[in-house]
Amino acid sequence: MKKRLLTLLLVTLACVTAVSAQGRRGLRLNEVMIANDSTSVVDDFGRYSAWVELYNSTFAPLEISSVFITNDRSNNTLYPVPLGDVNTEIPARQHVLFWADGEPNKGTFHLNFTFTPGEDNYLAIYDANGLSLIDEIVVPGNLLPGQSYARKADGEGGINNPEDWEVRDGSEAKYITPSSNNIIKSTNNKVDSFAENDPHGFAMAVMAMCIVFSALLVLSICFYIISRIGASVSRSRKIKALASDDEELADHHHEQDSGEVIAAISAALAEHLDAHDRESTILTINKVRRAYSPWSSKIYNLRELPRK
Amino acid sequence: MFSEFLTQNLQEFWHLTGFYNATWQHLVMLVVGLFFIWLAIKKNFEPMLLVPIGFGILIGNVPFNTTAGLEIGIYEEGSVLNILYNGVSAGWYPPLIFLGIGAMTDFSALIANPKLMLIGAAAQFGIFGAYMVALLLGFAPDQAGAIAIIGGADGPTAIFLSSKLAPNLMGAIAVSAYSYMALVPVIQPPLMRLLTTKNERLIKMKPARAVSQNEKIIFPIVGLILTCFVVPSGLPLLGMLFFGNLLRECGVTNRLAKTASNALTDIVTILLGMTVGASTQASEFLTSETIRIFLLGFMAFIIASASGVIFVKLFNLVLPKSKKINPLIGNAGVSAVPMSARISNNLGLEYDPSNYLLMHAMGPNVAGVIGSAVAAGVLLGFLA
Repeated sequence: MKKRLLTLLLVTLACVTAVSAQGRRGLRLNEVMIANDSTSVVDDFGRYSAWVELYNSTFAPLEISSVFITNDRSNNTLYPVPLGDVNTEIPARQHVLFWADGEPNKGTFHLNFTFTPGEDNYLAIYDANGLSLIDEIVVPGNLLPGQSYARKADGEGGINNPEDWEVRDGSEAKYITPSSNNIIKSTNNKVDSFAENDPHGFAMAVMAMCIVFSALLVLSICFYIISRIGASVSRSRKIKALASDDEELADHHHEQDSGEVIAAISAALAEHLDAHDRESTILTINKVRRAYSPWSSKIYNLRELPRK
Repeated sequence: MFSEFLTQNLQEFWHLTGFYNATWQHLVMLVVGLFFIWLAIKKNFEPMLLVPIGFGILIGNVPFNTTAGLEIGIYEEGSVLNILYNGVSAGWYPPLIFLGIGAMTDFSALIANPKLMLIGAAAQFGIFGAYMVALLLGFAPDQAGAIAIIGGADGPTAIFLSSKLAPNLMGAIAVSAYSYMALVPVIQPPLMRLLTTKNERLIKMKPARAVSQNEKIIFPIVGLILTCFVVPSGLPLLGMLFFGNLLRECGVTNRLAKTASNALTDIVTILLGMTVGASTQASEFLTSETIRIFLLGFMAFIIASASGVIFVKLFNLVLPKSKKINPLIGNAGVSAVPMSARISNNLGLEYDPSNYLLMHAMGPNVAGVIGSAVAAGVLLGFLA
């Protein structure tokens, strides 16, 4: 009974952890434009509306239907992202754009609120329970029309931390990127860095060999210690069980495990029975053991006879 | 009219045939495939791998009209071969092979003498030596890393890493890695003789102590935690390796261990070998890069084997006389299991018929498996 309870507890714990891991905590507010002055992107009705970009910072697709988006601190559940739209699944490390035009009947990606240019605008996303805050930000009121407020790096940084955000004006250095990466990468930075700073591979060789050596050295030391502890424990157990002192133990060990005795028995068996493995000089003696498993048990295939 | 119709259809059919679409590159690759099959069957070089790879090369290089949309090529999305190839391109065959390796491998020799793990680490210098040479030859760092892993002498690891770092070079890297693994008995002995003196070859090592089952159970658990805490990017390979080993050693999952080490490994080996072979399409394979990859692979093998032997010689300088290690087991630091350990044993017996080195060589040999997986994790962490 105790075993069952323990198993149930472990399974429940695993499920809870898994569910929590699959939550929407990886969803991020990534870029916001409060006043779209016709220099930015148009919606599917050809209008220049304010927009909000959400970013899936995880490495797995993220379904955001029933997540709440709000600009009202007193109403967490202002706009629920509708169910039943395949486009609400954001692929890994990708974006989705919502239009803050106050016209939700235009489609899934049209919010039921608008922003107020010239004032600080609060924006938040809440999980489906309407209580768990996923991300929030206060967009500063000094944002000019056509400027966006964006995370410096896609999805990176904390919640409501202005230091991770910057104002973008569409210039060469501060480009506005609706539904696209805030930092556009044309190459792999890591590879570029190695190509530039370590053209001969010497640093890589030194670093990598140090890591490989230290990993195996730690393992080696660990097993040296474990084997010493194991040897000491088994020695003391044997002393307790079989002999009163080390001398007797040594005698007993000699009697039990003599390689010569085993070799003689094997040679005799090979000589008289011509028994050997595939190789003519090797003989393996295996203990026959039939492991029980309920999966293969015939008992569970039989129905009990009905009782009168 | 009827004859026109007939001629037109026959002409269309002729344009679909391999005879019409064949190029000299296809024919060269078909010869390469036949050569692999010949090596495996007649010379017994790694037949379990070279037969599937060789036949895969034949499958992948049967010419056909690629513009006809027949959905038969390995690179055509939705084709049967493409679906099977997903295990290679997405990198999930190699961890499954590692599960089988873990379930097959007895780590006793390593647990009994943990210092042998360092030989497995030293041999990984082959990887990073080859990395430096690859950079010199003009490969980008990520391509160099994918090529250099050939020095780890571990096919699944090479496929896993190259699928992540340089997918376009994966066919050449995989074929190169498996070819050199098959040629280990030819490459290593002369090098071992060259780097050791006669006295060193005669060193007798103490028999390894018996290892308790508890130690064998603790090994995969501690091994996983320690190595993956250092290199989390090695998790797919190391996780499966140690998991397979726990199945084997815990004593209560014999059926699972048997399946992992027999049926599952066989199935994945067939699929892996065949699809890797089929991925070597002439247009991708017959390039100057492939020749450079083969050269680098050869160099990586030489450096890896030599660094293992040299490390043992240096290690002996600090070891007490009674605990000296025979440098002939240094070559086993490359993870061509158990071939390189057998070579150590055979060479040891050649110089002293009573000097059995197999069990001692198995220590660095299995450490090489762990070492190359860790090295792959390091490269992946730095370059992916």
